[in-house]
Amino acid sequence: MAEILNLIPSFRRIAMGAGLFLVLAAPSLREVLEQDMTRHMLIQLPFLVLAGWLLIPAAAASCRFVVIWDRFGIAGILTANLAAAYWMLPRSLDNAIALPVFEIAKFISLPLLVGVPLGCCWPRMPMLGKGFVMANVVSMLGIAGWLYLAAPVRVCVFYLSDQQEAVGRLLLCLAGAISLAVLFCAFVGFRPSAARTA
Amino acid sequence: MVTHPDLVPTLGARRAVIAYLAVFGAVLLLMMALGLLMRLNQGALVTLPPEIFYQSMTVHGTGMVGVASIGGAAVLWYFLGRYVRLTTWVFVLNLLTFTVGAAMILFADFVGGFAAAWTFLFPLPAKAGGQWEQWAAMVHLGGLLLIGTGFLLFHLDTARAILGRYGSLTRALGWPSLFGNDPEPPPPTIVASTMVLIVNTMGLVFGASVLVISLINLVVPQFTIDALIAKNMIYFFGHVFINATIYMAVIVVYELLPEYTGRPWKPNRPFLAAWTLSTVLVMVAYPHHLLMDFGMPHWLLILGQIVSYVSGLPILVVTAFGALMIVYRSGLRWDLAAGLLFIGVFGWAAGVVPAIIDATIIVNSVMHNTLWVPGHFHTYLLLGQVAMVLGFVAWTGKTRASQLFNALAFWIFVAGGIGLTQSFLYAGRLGIPRRFAEYLPEWIGQARIGAFSAALVVIGTVMLVGPLFIRLNRAMAVR
Repeated sequence: MAEILNLIPSFRRIAMGAGLFLVLAAPSLREVLEQDMTRHMLIQLPFLVLAGWLLIPAAAASCRFVVIWDRFGIAGILTANLAAAYWMLPRSLDNAIALPVFEIAKFISLPLLVGVPLGCCWPRMPMLGKGFVMANVVSMLGIAGWLYLAAPVRVCVFYLSDQQEAVGRLLLCLAGAISLAVLFCAFVGFRPSAARTA
Repeated sequence: MVTHPDLVPTLGARRAVIAYLAVFGAVLLLMMALGLLMRLNQGALVTLPPEIFYQSMTVHGTGMVGVASIGGAAVLWYFLGRYVRLTTWVFVLNLLTFTVGAAMILFADFVGGFAAAWTFLFPLPAKAGGQWEQWAAMVHLGGLLLIGTGFLLFHLDTARAILGRYGSLTRALGWPSLFGNDPEPPPPTIVASTMVLIVNTMGLVFGASVLVISLINLVVPQFTIDALIAKNMIYFFGHVFINATIYMAVIVVYELLPEYTGRPWKPNRPFLAAWTLSTVLVMVAYPHHLLMDFGMPHWLLILGQIVSYVSGLPILVVTAFGALMIVYRSGLRWDLAAGLLFIGVFGWAAGVVPAIIDATIIVNSVMHNTLWVPGHFHTYLLLGQVAMVLGFVAWTGKTRASQLFNALAFWIFVAGGIGLTQSFLYAGRLGIPRRFAEYLPEWIGQARIGAFSAALVVIGTVMLVGPLFIRLNRAMAVR
């Protein structure tokens, strides 16, 4: 996925990122996506991250500032993780719906503090780091899915229990799908040049 | 395609391998001592308080799985390093996480009193009935998680190195030769390492997930998981992880027997097919651990039985047959290492037989909770996996000990191993239950035979690993 995005010329990437951001910010679409917990969590939030990723030109990953401050992509992945962790809290979703200031914070922080750092750090991370992150993503998605299914109470004020359970099931499916995708990539092929840089 | 070893391990890498073997030897002996103590208690020769017995059983089970994996990892890393460039600091980090994790487990079990066996079945860690406190369960599970994290990094590094040189896992498994006409398949070490990294990464991800779920349950008991799903996840992880230790250790057979005999171990189509087949089957066979769980879907249990019949057999057959063919009329000059490698293949082959018997549903329903099962896994781990790693230890150290000393060490270890495993199997046949601290009078006799045999195993192992500790520096220098 990351390799495919990097093949897109910079100006097109930025245009796509800006366009995606504007579409997601459109009031009608925003309302539709936020009405349902599944759409909110699994469509709007990831696409905001993707918009941020696209806003960064591929060359940015190798610029001097990034190379100095983000060795092996550690600072970038930590920034992205910490920012993303906040938006994983059910209460954050409630706040984003209830309070405009949180909604604005979401639309700024997810592209800028998750998407942009990921876009900068991911191509520069050693394969060992990427593998570790992916293994954690899979197991944590599985655990988050279980948490939503096992929670004895509604975790979000604005969403009903059935939506919560649907999110739990979809997170488990997503963990399975990512595992299969990683296995498929590893079985079908890998560029030796990329691995040697690790 | 790389088909011949072309890399030489650095001094740092060799030191790291020796450090692994030193930890392997030390922890192995400690765990063996606990095993001996339990058999002595069952034989009414010493008296352990029941809680100490179950704490010892938990440490012994968990520790032996860990030590087998550390020994296997040392073998895999050393020989894989002949073909691909591995990262020494990742290898060392894995040893450090193992050591810290093992210390946490020892502390949680012997100080905190945690005694839920290696299986830590949900919800037992959180429902101790006053036997241990919450912190002990958390430290034990945390130790396991730490060890798993180290092994995940270890396998990710082998994946990086293998993919960097071979391009894809299919090429590293030899599929172009298996399904196409590529005349140069990858060496057995690459094939085995690839299989291990695939299955163990999957197992570790499931294991980490269920450990975190159990930890969350300890802190917030309202968050529960279906106990049967948790058991499936635990046994998938445990089954894959322990089998992978054998697949790691067998690499030493592929690498050293050709050195001893001067005959190369060139993978052919049956060899490659066997490893590919077992890659899938070892992950599908785990339901044979749950044949007594009536809540399991019947189709899964039937699948577990059928797949268990063929899961490990392909690799075992090609390895055992290959080993026999390589040794037959080769003029091999037997020494301690060669003997241990050969007994390792025997132990693996012999240990699979009771496993297949127990994987039959109708047999399992009466045999699974007896000592038959410890008989099976002690055979293929003690006389199989451990013997192979001890063969590697002997080869690495090339001790100056006399032939008589080596022969004594070998035969004491083998005689003790056979005695111990046969006493387990015989007791299982009689229907003596496993995991019992106290025995009825009529069970004590065979427990004493087991205790005597276990003592021989400990003596033999001290004689086998002792020289490694005495000449650690020399061991680092010679290979």
